[in-house]
Amino acid sequence: MAEQKSEFEPKIVVYACNWCTYAATDLAGTSRMSYPPNVRIIRVMCSGRVDPQLVLQAFADGADGVIVAGCHPPADCHYIEGNYKAYRRFELFRKLLGAMGIEQERFRLEWISAAEASRWVQVVNEMVAQLKKLGPLKPNMEVRE
Amino acid sequence: MSEPRIGVYVCHCGFNIAGTVDVKKVVEFAKNLPNVVVAKEYVFMCSEPGQDLIKEDIKANNLNRIVVAACSPSLHEVTFRTAIKEAGLNKYLLEMANIREHCSWVHHDKEKATEKAKEIVRMAVAKARYLEPLEELEVGAETSALVLGGGIAGIRAALELANYGFHVYLVEKSPTIGGKAALIGYIDPQTKGAEVVSKMIDKIKECPRIQVLTNAELIQLGGFVGNYNAKIRINPRFVNERCTLCGECEEVCPVEVANEYNFGLSRRKAIFLPFANAYPPYYAIDYRVCVKCGECEKVCRFRAINLKEEAKILELKVGTLIVATGYDPYRPFKGEYGYGLHPNILTLFQLERLLDPDSPTKGELIIGGKIPKNIAFIQCVGSRNTTPGAKEYCSRMCCTTAINSAIKIKERYPNTNVYILYKDIMTYGSDETLYEEAGKKLVNFIKFEEKIPKVLITPEGLFIEVFEYTIQENIRIPVDAIVLSIGMLPPRDIEELIAVTRVSCGGEGFVREAHLKLAPVEAPTKGIFLAGCITGPKNILESIRMGSAAAAKAMALLSKGKITIEPMIAQVNEEKCSGCAICVGVCPYSAISIKTVNGDRIAHVEKALCMGCGTCSAACPSGAMQHLGFKDLQLLAQTRAVFGGEVHG
Amino acid sequence: MSSVLIIGGGVAGIQAALDLAEQGIEVYLVDKAPSVGGKMAYLDKTFPTLDCALCILAPKMAALLRYPNIKLIMNSEVQDVSGRAGNFKVKILKKPTYVDWSKCNGCAVCTEKCPVKDVPNEYNMGLSNRRAIYIMFPQAVPKRAIIDAEHCMRLNPPPKAKEKAKGPLCGVCQRVCPTKAIDYEQKPEIIELNVASLIIATGMELYDPRNMPELGYGKHQNVYTNLEFERLVSATGPTNGEIVRKSDGKHPKKIAWIQCVGSRDIRFNHYCSAYCCMAATKQAILAKEHLSDVQCTIYYMDIRAFGKGFNEFLERAKKEFGINYIRGKVVRIDEIPETKNLKIIYEDTAESYLKMDEYDMVVLSVAITPNSKLPVPVELTEDGFIKMKDPYLDPVSTSAEGIFVVGAVAGAKDIPDSVTEASAAAARAALIAKRFSCPTEVVK
Repeated sequence: MAEQKSEFEPKIVVYACNWCTYAATDLAGTSRMSYPPNVRIIRVMCSGRVDPQLVLQAFADGADGVIVAGCHPPADCHYIEGNYKAYRRFELFRKLLGAMGIEQERFRLEWISAAEASRWVQVVNEMVAQLKKLGPLKPNMEVRE
Repeated sequence: MSEPRIGVYVCHCGFNIAGTVDVKKVVEFAKNLPNVVVAKEYVFMCSEPGQDLIKEDIKANNLNRIVVAACSPSLHEVTFRTAIKEAGLNKYLLEMANIREHCSWVHHDKEKATEKAKEIVRMAVAKARYLEPLEELEVGAETSALVLGGGIAGIRAALELANYGFHVYLVEKSPTIGGKAALIGYIDPQTKGAEVVSKMIDKIKECPRIQVLTNAELIQLGGFVGNYNAKIRINPRFVNERCTLCGECEEVCPVEVANEYNFGLSRRKAIFLPFANAYPPYYAIDYRVCVKCGECEKVCRFRAINLKEEAKILELKVGTLIVATGYDPYRPFKGEYGYGLHPNILTLFQLERLLDPDSPTKGELIIGGKIPKNIAFIQCVGSRNTTPGAKEYCSRMCCTTAINSAIKIKERYPNTNVYILYKDIMTYGSDETLYEEAGKKLVNFIKFEEKIPKVLITPEGLFIEVFEYTIQENIRIPVDAIVLSIGMLPPRDIEELIAVTRVSCGGEGFVREAHLKLAPVEAPTKGIFLAGCITGPKNILESIRMGSAAAAKAMALLSKGKITIEPMIAQVNEEKCSGCAICVGVCPYSAISIKTVNGDRIAHVEKALCMGCGTCSAACPSGAMQHLGFKDLQLLAQTRAVFGGEVHG
Repeated sequence: MSSVLIIGGGVAGIQAALDLAEQGIEVYLVDKAPSVGGKMAYLDKTFPTLDCALCILAPKMAALLRYPNIKLIMNSEVQDVSGRAGNFKVKILKKPTYVDWSKCNGCAVCTEKCPVKDVPNEYNMGLSNRRAIYIMFPQAVPKRAIIDAEHCMRLNPPPKAKEKAKGPLCGVCQRVCPTKAIDYEQKPEIIELNVASLIIATGMELYDPRNMPELGYGKHQNVYTNLEFERLVSATGPTNGEIVRKSDGKHPKKIAWIQCVGSRDIRFNHYCSAYCCMAATKQAILAKEHLSDVQCTIYYMDIRAFGKGFNEFLERAKKEFGINYIRGKVVRIDEIPETKNLKIIYEDTAESYLKMDEYDMVVLSVAITPNSKLPVPVELTEDGFIKMKDPYLDPVSTSAEGIFVVGAVAGAKDIPDSVTEASAAAARAALIAKRFSCPTEVVK
């Protein structure tokens, strides 16, 4: 494939909870907002479902950035406290990223409610800009299935 | 399970998708993905012929997995699941690729959008390869309901449900049911709010299946659709059914506060009767202000008062919840249009109260001691961004209410000049006739635009200064009284409502319905229904109809006495489970326990309690706990497919 | 348990039918059109979310077919209703479709082969043509063909051709139909039903703007009604969603919407039609989305942005899409003969004198009128809507016990309010149907 020498386009994998963030991404669509096409959204029922191993796999496969997004704490979570579990898991996880040679900025944990389509667009814009600055990820790791 | 045979169906959605995404290219791309047997396009996949296309292919090509690349699963997952089920496939063997909301609607570059759409389809196909058939679960359902909020919408819903044979608990936070409609003088030119509410309350009294719980609030909601466990706290009323309404207690009570049932137009005691036809028909003590001096207890000859009464907790089992907790009137800040700075500046609610025969002035329009010669309404106070701190939305009922009051004033006090200062008059539908009538009765309508009217409090009296739109000039109107047509706000305690019931809010702060257009009385969570102003401003009639509709929906859901439960829940692989019990700790529903099977400690999931969040699956160190529909392998395949990779499971 | 008859298969009637069927009650749904869907099926998008109308409606239409206890009686009109709550006798005239719907599978071969190609297509408001045999629209439910007898060569041959021909004319559809469904001999049928309760959901028609000759509708080519414009922007419309002028096929550069055409006007209808302000706002946004350089202006009296999300939508239209709102009453529309452009003469209420502006397309936001001329013994309001007996204490009930009314035939309203009323009425009708168990028989 003849590759055009153009600006680096980062690829971002997003794990979005069904009730808040996924709904916000839908709302961004129905409101015809516009954002760069660098994100690939994977729907999960709750941000608490996201296993750090999945995130590692995404980085290993070539993701330049990963976003895990769910409902606002304290009370928005559809499953009472799944967002807290995600928070606890990924705050620890973020610290480990550095040890693997992955800049912490490449990972974001976000709270985006079903109404916050504009917040979603803002997060995507920020992340794309950030990753363009950082350049492509060249991780030095291997994850086994 | 046999080798996956996947059919991919790409929807044009008219131009919604095809306008930005090259659908043909996506179809060609999909054809070459692993296990894809057929890939097709159609203008509206969700239409009957679109669905038929899929059904025919399932039979003709022996397909066992379906990927529909179209809109968000929140819109049509159910549609396509039903379609493939009709073709004999397990309905969970479907994966939606969201190429509309996530792609064609948010991107403009055709080439990039098409590339993205291809990848979204590749991800969906990758997941589809690992989908498994799942079976729904059936559980029994209670034919009883909890109606939250004793306003007009809640009362209507309760009456309707009782008619269908449901046992209804009508839970109201204040000491009486009736809500704000009971306090409105005239809800239309012929109808008194108090009269309508009284008639509805009379019906409630007759109905043995409705249990009215006042001074009560929902503090916990457990369980699930058809089988909710509701915990209700009943705050003490301190007055029981022996009360004869003699009123002697009121006279001796030393505590005096503003009477919220007169919107602050009068004062009441700590022991009080909210309004003449309040129900239950007993006095109540406002526990927040009572000083427990005991005077009332002493004076009461019927031993109806017990100051030692304590809060009670009631546990109820109900099948459904109807949320009808209404709204709060907008609270103008001090000085907003002179509010709070002059006794003759009042809110629309206060005026409405004043016109009620049961009001402090017995229905007479007496403001500041006399009948005003000139009275002006200022519209959009707190709404349509007209005032500082106002909401963007229109509060829907204030124009009609103001005009209605203006007509009443003109009928009874023909010599009073009435001005209505407005941006747009919102007498939509048949209410337009009221606007017309007000014009005939010589109510003066004064239009303003972005520049809002100014209220001047001077030694010579009250004035309104406004830039009149139709003459494009500043005018100054001398007035004796000003009515601020305040809008509606989400109720103050909506945060608690969200925390307890898990309903969610839209950007404007009211509760979100399952679909704004086609599911206006359903919450996104199955089993919870919405009525009245909790979803946004409504007039009284609209609230009543919503009450009926919410009850109807609840009945349709529970009438069979059983509920089907989504099978996308947690499942334990007993071979892999080590009994470490990490999952037990993370489950928010206490649905997991450790059981001993043949001497081994193994996690056990109580299916009816599991809500399918998947948090246990993420926490499980051995991969024994799997979230059906979102299994590790399925999510991994989806993740790897972003980059064109595959898993080998 | 006995059954319920719903008159009108629009979004309200559909919702009522689904709610009743869900409880296992037998439902008859009558519509004068060959498909359910009502006015909502004509819409491209719905305000304020800009959801595609058919995307949300079509699944509900399709769901009707999934209930064996829903019987669709299309192309039919109720002729007589007698009896009382629990036992109404209803007489329905089922007009011939000349196609045996038990055989037709909606393959549409006939509609491609029919030689009569110039019948104005009602679904596209006459902006495109259809054949004499046709399927109402692609997502029609039931998706069945129907012959328009007036235009069919076989059923209504032109006199001259009839003289010349020896035998019957044409017959193409009959020859090509793979299921042998065509039946030129089909006769009108009278269906008699016994039902426990009735729900009237006949909705509305659009007011004919020809009653206001000063606006030039029907005379000036580039003056459209809002429903015509809706079809024009729709992907399934006459131009596949391309906005072009009738006169020259060119994209308009300046479009004006005139509000309150036939509403809030003491000469015609006193009431406000409730939907048109937001519909015009939506259409202006759609026009902007289709043609980015188009200028959109809306002439209004009051902008009625009263519903959930409406005012936010209006603000977006102004700020984000640059839609221009002028508060003014349009007095006259003149056509400029050379360009077929339109000169709007209006009173700008801000300056209180007459002004003029030129547009190359004008859309009239026409009033709705209730479809309330029915042989059903119910009282009407002064404006001709069906009266709700006691909307406070007995919502959705008419003056006749056991007969309920929902949607726009009881007063101008938008979709969510219609759907809400439909569910409420379904529950009330269900109560009656469950209480009475008179046998329902279909007598032909």
